Amino acid sequence: MKKVSIDRRRFIKLSTLSGGGLMIGFMLPGLPSFGQTIPDCEFFQPNALIRISKNGEVTIFVARQEMGQGVNTSLPMIVADELEADWKKVKTEIAPYGSMANGAHDTGGSQSVLTDYTTLRKAGAVAKAMLVAAAAKQWNISPDKCAADNGTVVNTTNMKTISYGELVCVAATLPVPAEVTLKSPKDFKLIGKEQKKSNLKDILTGKAKFGIDLKVPGMVYASIERCPVLGGKLVSVNDSEAKEVAGFIKVVTYEGTGKPMHVRPGVAVIATSFWAAEQARDLLKIKWDVGQGYKANTVELFNTMAVRSKQPAAIEKFKKGTVNPIKIASQNSHIAEYKEPFLAHATMEPVNFIAQVKGDNCEMWGGLQLPDWTVNQVAADCGFKKENIKVNLAMIGGGFGRRLHFEFAIEAVKIAKQLDTAVKVIWNRKDDIRFQGYRPANYHRLEASWSKSGELQTWYHHVLSTSIAVMTDGPQTPDPSENQGGAMADFYYKVPNVKTGYTNVDFNINRGWLRSVEICMNSFPVESFIDEVARKMKKDPLAFRLSLLDGREMFLVGEGPGAMKQYPQRIANVLKLAAEKIGYDRPRKKNHFIGVATHSFIFAKSYAAHAIEIELLGPKNFRIKRVVAAIDCGIVINPDGLKNQMEGGLAFALQQALKGEITIQNGKVDQSGFHNYQLLRYNEMPPVEIYTIASEEEPGGVGEVGLPTVAPALCNALAAAGYRPRSLPLKNEGFSWG
Amino acid sequence: MASFQLSVNNKSFSVEAEPDMPLLWVLRDMLDLTGTKFGCGVSACGACTVLINDHAMRSCQVSVKAAAGQTITTIEGLSEDGTHPVQKAWEKVAVPQCGYCQTGQMMTVVGLLKQNKRPTEEEIDAVMSQNLCRCGTYHRIKEAVHQVIEEINK
Ligand code: FES
Ligand code: FES
Repeated sequence: MKKVSIDRRRFIKLSTLSGGGLMIGFMLPGLPSFGQTIPDCEFFQPNALIRISKNGEVTIFVARQEMGQGVNTSLPMIVADELEADWKKVKTEIAPYGSMANGAHDTGGSQSVLTDYTTLRKAGAVAKAMLVAAAAKQWNISPDKCAADNGTVVNTTNMKTISYGELVCVAATLPVPAEVTLKSPKDFKLIGKEQKKSNLKDILTGKAKFGIDLKVPGMVYASIERCPVLGGKLVSVNDSEAKEVAGFIKVVTYEGTGKPMHVRPGVAVIATSFWAAEQARDLLKIKWDVGQGYKANTVELFNTMAVRSKQPAAIEKFKKGTVNPIKIASQNSHIAEYKEPFLAHATMEPVNFIAQVKGDNCEMWGGLQLPDWTVNQVAADCGFKKENIKVNLAMIGGGFGRRLHFEFAIEAVKIAKQLDTAVKVIWNRKDDIRFQGYRPANYHRLEASWSKSGELQTWYHHVLSTSIAVMTDGPQTPDPSENQGGAMADFYYKVPNVKTGYTNVDFNINRGWLRSVEICMNSFPVESFIDEVARKMKKDPLAFRLSLLDGREMFLVGEGPGAMKQYPQRIANVLKLAAEKIGYDRPRKKNHFIGVATHSFIFAKSYAAHAIEIELLGPKNFRIKRVVAAIDCGIVINPDGLKNQMEGGLAFALQQALKGEITIQNGKVDQSGFHNYQLLRYNEMPPVEIYTIASEEEPGGVGEVGLPTVAPALCNALAAAGYRPRSLPLKNEGFSWG
Repeated sequence: MASFQLSVNNKSFSVEAEPDMPLLWVLRDMLDLTGTKFGCGVSACGACTVLINDHAMRSCQVSVKAAAGQTITTIEGLSEDGTHPVQKAWEKVAVPQCGYCQTGQMMTVVGLLKQNKRPTEEEIDAVMSQNLCRCGTYHRIKEAVHQVIEEINK
């Protein structure tokens, strides 16, 4: 058995741990050196993040990609707070790619706020210090007789003020201070106060430009027919009928790639409009050699996993004490198996990308969650020098991890190489649902035993899934269980003997990171199983959980600088808050049932619990009456953004619990649109309340923490009503809801 | 190719297009009105909703030929500066997350209220359940819809 230490999410490795992050004092090329007066200066730009113009307008550049999670508001708020800017005069812009250090644009894993928090504060503080120094110079007084406030500097002796705009020309000549003092959190003016999205007005008036809205002069359009089975090859294409479509330009073919992105071979129709390209594409006659991949079948995959789950895991993830296998459950032990399907991202903005190749140079336009990796891979797969690739980032109409993958960029460049104009590739909805890196299918076997006196003694969790790392790194990956582990070293319930392991079961479909990735995959079985165990022990599931959490000290997960802190008490606290707010202890109406679940999103330093009340309307027919979410994410930057993420997380997770499912037969994905990959709908959104634990801990990330406990809380409510769903989505288990 | 006269947002446009080209692509790619979004192309998401003669319609399902001569309103023409009551309610409630579906959501509400200023809860549910939002802003859409209804019936 191979032993692997705790894994961290790949995007964290790619960005923060590789020494990335933002750099302050980072001068933009072309600006004059310090100490010189700048004739006709128009603005002051002390670093790549902040520009203050003469009219007092403050532009804050946002390096992380905005895709609905609100970084274009929360990150500027952090800067503006230290800068003492007037928020009404703050504009935000996408930071040009290349203006920041490597890794600065990477967006994923709920990492933006927690990674950038201190750097952004410093950037704001540096600019403020320079503006204060400029005012002091102007007034010929000591800087400690000056204070910054709401876009002005105040002379604290005579209360005269001067606006930031009036100071830019002097500030621009001053040296950047090496050290700055940051505000005490109690003095925060913006952080912690609800702010609306910085681009709200643009969204509401239709002016906001997403990647799909961009145009490049001379641009043509492409629609692509891709090999239906992963690993297949193009045999032939006949475009004689397609050619007849008005607007048709030509057909371009390209070969697929292997790891990391698994671009499928494609036949792209180039046309003067996307509509024409689509029409012509329908008329293509293509022969594919699908290779051996056609054998892939999800029904068989789950059968294999079920059989394999009873055998020892291939990789040991975590071990504490002694855990012996339990073959048959007794009065003092319990066994359960759970399964969850492949899932698609299905972002509202269909995937799209623009590329243009001119000789040795390549330019790209669109949304990318990992632009650095994209550039490296496009260079490698398409034969460009990295420095000859230019990226123009765009706002993303829903990310959820879809654009951590970038096979669409490689495709677009492969096509652009064969054209002498820019090309915009748009994936239609069918393409989007049928071809992507899916959230892996997964299967779990859990076993637990307890003493006669009711003390939980052993906990065993065997996770089986179709590894993401095997797809991105190839079968030789150092850790196929990366992003997939079960309860590991971070397992928060107090149990003396714990053993967890992972087995990869390979399957011919690409896999990728979907919002909450492994935490969602594992919370469902873990938080369902603890509930099952409590019920079998005839204990209240809430009290039982708390007995295993309350009073438990913080412990470290992992070693060295990458070690993470796990706080069982914070996990208990959010659970208590959710239970209290839903009225867990109050008498319940007839046919009303409550389920709870809690967890820590350790990578994002956030904790959340859900309590869900359902009404049973008939056999296997229920209505969700109320959802209460409680969260502890340390210091909250934008309470409105936090609420948005928790509400949206609920909708996203409910879709997974109720109906989300990708199935594969003969190597082909069965689903092809919103009619058979159903999203949650307006009438299915339950009433939701969000409660936050006040905290002075460093801020955590909130983009994903709102998902993992939704499905188990709902299933635990159903268990209270007499059902125990162990397989998602619930639609397949005969449930209906209204 | 044929030539069509379109009336969009009180302006008249002449476009050369295949008669069955959906209005969606004419608006987005020819008239540069990109506030109307492509989400599915098959009437399954509502992102492309515009008003045609005051009815909310899926522009992915209306050919340019059928649209010619009708009165078309897109999000860009809903108000000069985002002050239509629906936009104002959306702003107040801070509905959007990524924002991609929101122009379609708002146009659907505008269409609904043009036909009926006091729709019942069931009517709202039936209409709004046809517009998808992957970010899950439904909770806020509901609140905003109720605010507009209250506002316009004052
Ligand atoms: S694009 Fe028209 S309904 Fe989806
Ligand atoms: S706000 Fe993102 S899809 Fe609705």
